[in-house]
Amino acid sequence: MASNVYIKAVKQISAQQPLCEEWLEHPITYTEPYIGSVEPDYKLFFAPNEARRLGKILRRALLVSRQTMKETDIHNPEAIITGTGLGCIENTEFFLKDLVNEGEELLKPTYFMQSTHNTISSLIAIDAKCNGYNTTYSNKGISFECALLDAFLQMNGGKLHSALVGAYDEMTPDYFTLLKRAGYLGKEGLCFAGETSVGMMLVDNSPQTALCRVENVEICYGKPDWEYLKQCLNFESVDAVMTGLNGEAANDGIYNRECAKWFPQKPLLHYKHLFGESYTSPAFAVYASAICLSRQYIPQHLFAKPETAFKDREIKRILCYNSFENRNHSFIILSICGR
Amino acid sequence: MDELILKLKQEIIEVLNLEEVKPEDIDENAPLFGSVKPIDANQEPEEIDENAPLFSKGLGLDSIDALELIVLMEKNYGIKLKDPAKGKEIFKSVKVLAQYVEANRTK
Repeated sequence: MASNVYIKAVKQISAQQPLCEEWLEHPITYTEPYIGSVEPDYKLFFAPNEARRLGKILRRALLVSRQTMKETDIHNPEAIITGTGLGCIENTEFFLKDLVNEGEELLKPTYFMQSTHNTISSLIAIDAKCNGYNTTYSNKGISFECALLDAFLQMNGGKLHSALVGAYDEMTPDYFTLLKRAGYLGKEGLCFAGETSVGMMLVDNSPQTALCRVENVEICYGKPDWEYLKQCLNFESVDAVMTGLNGEAANDGIYNRECAKWFPQKPLLHYKHLFGESYTSPAFAVYASAICLSRQYIPQHLFAKPETAFKDREIKRILCYNSFENRNHSFIILSICGR
Repeated sequence: MDELILKLKQEIIEVLNLEEVKPEDIDENAPLFGSVKPIDANQEPEEIDENAPLFSKGLGLDSIDALELIVLMEKNYGIKLKDPAKGKEIFKSVKVLAQYVEANRTK
């Protein structure tokens, strides 16, 4: 018998207030095209010199992981599974700049060690003394969903009982400039380029204390088989669809077209205006949906069309639909826990 | 020599990202590596390590910091350290390091 999968806790550091859900009532709004994360005071969480060697993304990843483990009281998860589009891009840039400027003989070991994508997941494992399954998915705009799918399938099949799933990406000024020049970011109407640090603990038990249940995770390449998905994910009973609307005409056209066809009358939610665009930003869709399901409350500003907003109504199921360049698609059904 | 010691302290702080450490916090005679305990007034004579610092704990640096310092030596002073055993001696303290730099620097 397949095990149910629950999200027991989720923590974030982003363009919104870190490690809390202040954005529900008092979201920070931005007009700039590139926004870094609002950093917590790391001195409150790390001993002096403990994090001195860590790049920004590693500090964030370590902190959200520690906070997630602390809240769930699961200090040694059976698996640590991470999604990242760019990995430790800042240290990679430092390393490459040194390589260009100093040649191959005077390279700093720290930048080298922390320039690989799987540094994040391994650092969390070393910190937590977790010797179990440790995997990093780096599949551009669908990296987080691959990590979640891995955990979901293993837990569903009874191979895992706890998994720390994370999504981490940072944005550097240089990389932003390159993506802007290539026409991916900084476009008219497009939300800001942001950074992602989300850690969530998945468990196969204790629905009473979980935020929500992960009912299903589907990813596909190319055109989705909508008829199959409609039946498999039971579109009819979805209360809202959390979309990757980001203000850019071509991207939003995909969501508006498909959602009008497959989810008519369903309120569309969005989150990228709050958390920004990044390869792993779909993790914020799951984060925001889990919080909304847990609190049985969707703030007005999450509704893409204010006139579709509702309240005082039970929220049972939210579908997180992400389309990356209309090429990779993911569908994640989150539902209320039996309580 | 004092000027070089101060410069080395500043470079060590910068390259190793020793947040919250100021040059004046670093005892130039204290060991850079390991976690050597300073002598405790209550220790018995036979318990006292004759090489332990009298007043201060070391910086507690590790092997990765040693690699960073080797890069620093070559980059800033043109000193190539190839013998690991020698490195252990040179990095004993900031003062020892300054003396070695003074005697061997090529830039």
